[in-house]
Amino acid sequence: MNLNFILFILLIFFALAKINFQHQYRTLHSKLEIENQITLELREEKMKLQIEESSKSANGRIQEIAKKRLGMQAPKKNQKKIIFNK
Amino acid sequence: MRQIIKNRHEFFVLSKIRSRFVLLTLLLSFFALFSQAFYLQGMQNEWLQEEGFNRSNRKIILLAYRGKIFDRNGKVLAGSAPVQTIKANPVSVKFQKGQKNKLAKLLKLDPKYLDQKLRKKNRPYVFLKKRLSPKVAAQIMALKIPGITLDKEYRRYYPGNASSAHVVGYLGSDGNGLEGLEMAMNEALSGEHGFKKVLIDAKRRIVDELSEVKVPKDGQDIHLSIDSRLQEKTYEALKKAVDKHEAKSGSAILIDAKSGEVLAMSNFPSYNPNKPLTTIEAKNLKNRVMTDAFEPGSTVKPISVAVALEKNVVNVRTKINTTLKGHYKVGKHTIYDTHAYGTLTVKEVIQRSSNIGAVKIAEKMTAKSLWSIYNNFGFGRKTEIEFPGETRGELKSYKSWKKSDRAAISYGYSLSGSLAQIVRAYTPFANSGELKPLSLIKKNEPVIGKRVLSTKVSNQILNILESVVSEDGGTAPHAQVPGYRIAGKTGTAKKSLIGRRGYGKKYTASFVGIAPVSKPKFIMAIMIDEPSKGGIYGGPLAGPVFKEVMSTALKLYSVPQDGLNNEVIERKNGVNINITI
Repeated sequence: MNLNFILFILLIFFALAKINFQHQYRTLHSKLEIENQITLELREEKMKLQIEESSKSANGRIQEIAKKRLGMQAPKKNQKKIIFNK
Repeated sequence: MRQIIKNRHEFFVLSKIRSRFVLLTLLLSFFALFSQAFYLQGMQNEWLQEEGFNRSNRKIILLAYRGKIFDRNGKVLAGSAPVQTIKANPVSVKFQKGQKNKLAKLLKLDPKYLDQKLRKKNRPYVFLKKRLSPKVAAQIMALKIPGITLDKEYRRYYPGNASSAHVVGYLGSDGNGLEGLEMAMNEALSGEHGFKKVLIDAKRRIVDELSEVKVPKDGQDIHLSIDSRLQEKTYEALKKAVDKHEAKSGSAILIDAKSGEVLAMSNFPSYNPNKPLTTIEAKNLKNRVMTDAFEPGSTVKPISVAVALEKNVVNVRTKINTTLKGHYKVGKHTIYDTHAYGTLTVKEVIQRSSNIGAVKIAEKMTAKSLWSIYNNFGFGRKTEIEFPGETRGELKSYKSWKKSDRAAISYGYSLSGSLAQIVRAYTPFANSGELKPLSLIKKNEPVIGKRVLSTKVSNQILNILESVVSEDGGTAPHAQVPGYRIAGKTGTAKKSLIGRRGYGKKYTASFVGIAPVSKPKFIMAIMIDEPSKGGIYGGPLAGPVFKEVMSTALKLYSVPQDGLNNEVIERKNGVNINITI
């Protein structure tokens, strides 16, 4: 009688524990999915930044900015000096 | 009429009727419930289970990313980024006050055009705008207009724009490559989409994964040998030359002399692969460096001379009589030089680019040995790049050669090749006689070539080619790069008539150069097609392109200067110099 009662209590306990763990698993899985989604978004963001970096670091663009915005220019013939290292 | 209960007994008599009524009602209700339960669980079991499954299970597509294309320094040449597409269900779209105008403003559309689109009630949905940025798409969704939905898709971006378009190619609307490496390596780049079946809760959150999962396989990233800095420089220099000489087009290829890696491959005019395909002119799509074969003219003279040296038919000092008249008859054909040179050494034949001299040297060899060397140098065979639409050029079998063919082949006619084949044919001169395979993929190991010349002869040819650029009487002073020893050969060839025999009045001007001579690092070939202003010769037309690109390449790769004495040579000639250290 006592043993049956104990087993019954254990059965109820494990049944509740299973439900609880199932719930915890699903909650954590849901969080994992959100994190996975964030990973994908960050990966896409990285790709976008790489593309942006490539297009903004193009030599032609930098040259244009150097000339127009910064007023830079290539040295003229008389501004160059040849240094011989003997 | 109201009935009055007088005593307790009477009350129970009445309640018995009631109780029977209640019992009957309950029995009927139970029967109804039981029947319904039997109907649902017994007869509709499968359908109900399926409905339940459909409500809590979802199949999610796991997108595989298309591989990226990088240059040799890790700079992106092609990559996919998400863009949003706004769709509308014309039947369920309902605007509140002011929403339509806000939507039209965000979509940059006329409200009337929006109305026109939404009038198509027979369609399940209509596209309002494709390729929207995620920021604008989020603003639109924040309006919460019923019937407006968002789709995510991936768009391919090409940061190199027109300069690398011919190498990289572009994608079609179905996501498959249509040109260039996007097409050639489509399978490796594409990858495979996957899926997974998941369990969702009432809030549509994924709470569990079911057993069916197919892992997506992302496309492979490709690291090219291209250096985007040199690619851009080459494109700009070509554009300048084509504009200046009002030419039909220009093409150039720059390779690493030791590994055969292609560092730049460009054509002008080109196209911008980021723009809609409908705006691109079909004639500009071809990567002419790889797809177009042309008669190379004098740029192949060093090859036939190299064979003659190899076979000891001549040596560099052997005197060749190129006649005092400047023309020479072979069978029915007359061969001309630009000037009457008289007697020239073998070195001078190359230096002054004498057609008659090249023919007379070729006449000392058999047709078979001449053919073998062109074949060994890669003419008539595709390069190792495996580019879509690549030409193999033409090198007829020596058995079908007439006397005039043998003569013509020695100075670059009666055979044709792509610019890529021509640059490959110069690799033995920079590698002690080894022909190197070309590659568009970055190599991390030394590349073994095929020996086609002895070290002695290849060095002799390299020195002769240096005289073409640096000595008096050479045809390519325009290709000089101050501070460096440069070797090279010019070519000017008449274009054959299309659909008819013979040649017209259109030319190709070309130049192939090697730098620096003391330790060759780069080889570059340039071709300007049909120049119509400022001359027709390879030296002055293609030489400056070489000089411009090579100056940048030598600086970028910190190649030590080996030709500071160039200053003396150029001053003797009274030519101003720019030496950059």
